[in-house]
Amino acid sequence: MTEERQHQLYREAGEHFAPAIARLARAMERDPDRARDLEQDMHCELFRSFARFAGDCALKTWVYRVAHNVAAEHRLRAGRRPKPVALEDIGDLPEPEDAELAAAESHAVARARVIIRSLPTLDAQVMLLWLEGETAKDIAEVTGLASGAVATRIHRLKTLLADQFAPAEHGNEDHD
Amino acid sequence: MTDLPFPEWGSAAHDAQFSQARSCETRATRFERRIRVRNAIEYIAGALVALLFGGATIAALLRGEIAFALGFLLVLAGTAAVLWNLHRRGANLERHPEDTCRAHLRRQYEHQRAALAAVPAWYIGPLLPGTLAIYATVTAKVAEKAGWATALSGIAGPAAITFGLFAAIALANLWGARRLAREIAALDAGD
Repeated sequence: MTEERQHQLYREAGEHFAPAIARLARAMERDPDRARDLEQDMHCELFRSFARFAGDCALKTWVYRVAHNVAAEHRLRAGRRPKPVALEDIGDLPEPEDAELAAAESHAVARARVIIRSLPTLDAQVMLLWLEGETAKDIAEVTGLASGAVATRIHRLKTLLADQFAPAEHGNEDHD
Repeated sequence: MTDLPFPEWGSAAHDAQFSQARSCETRATRFERRIRVRNAIEYIAGALVALLFGGATIAALLRGEIAFALGFLLVLAGTAAVLWNLHRRGANLERHPEDTCRAHLRRQYEHQRAALAAVPAWYIGPLLPGTLAIYATVTAKVAEKAGWATALSGIAGPAAITFGLFAAIALANLWGARRLAREIAALDAGD
């Protein structure tokens, strides 16, 4: 791997995935300053990781794996936080706080971020990838879960969102 | 990627860009900063203990208190063993952020679980000989002058606090290890 190729991959990843990485950081970390710090950590981990990229998987898979794993480490180190709630156990969605609403682009996005932070890490990763429009197969490749397990989680996600969000806030219900 | 299932999600941060690559050449990630902080703590703690117990050992030797000097030396050796274990465990951190999320998360959990479960062996164990030696020396010295009953009753409180603290540390870490073991089991059953 040449340095030029490493820079080229980084540019390519930035062109395609910078917004998704920013959304991931903001969903996993509530504090805006720490979220920006986390986002930069993801960028730098990605840049360094491209020196090892041998093309064994798609660039997208690589980018999502690195970014999600950096976010998972951040979560693990964040210390005490409320006990995660499994997808099937979430009843009424917690309402976002004022600071959350101020930082988010819309009420729906703020609520989605609250759900993501309530979930166990792997479920949160599936939800984030699904929100980015990734298919069950691609999500399985990034997370390492079986496709069936991803499909089950997506089904629960759809049910959860259908129950909690107004119909106007829904997009493509059949997406998976 | 197909159409977004939740279009408002995609409208957030749509203009975000990656940091300049050259800024990554100088920026330490949070992971690297954590290792640096841990190393700094190791050095500071090591220096403080060496200063304190090294000085105490010299003072004890100058006054001919060989038993105390031995106890202090054992504490010094125990602390060195703890710091070495901490360093070794830090150096052994495996890191492959490009692995699947599940494999990566499992490895992180397992690394933490193993470290917590082994705290009695690598953290408390090395400190026990020195602590016991100092308590034994103090008890024997007091017993020489005031009798064993007085010596033992005098030492009971401080010893209960010291060894109670050790036990509490061990139990808290074992409890944390069990919680992580449950997380790992849940990950393994995730399919």
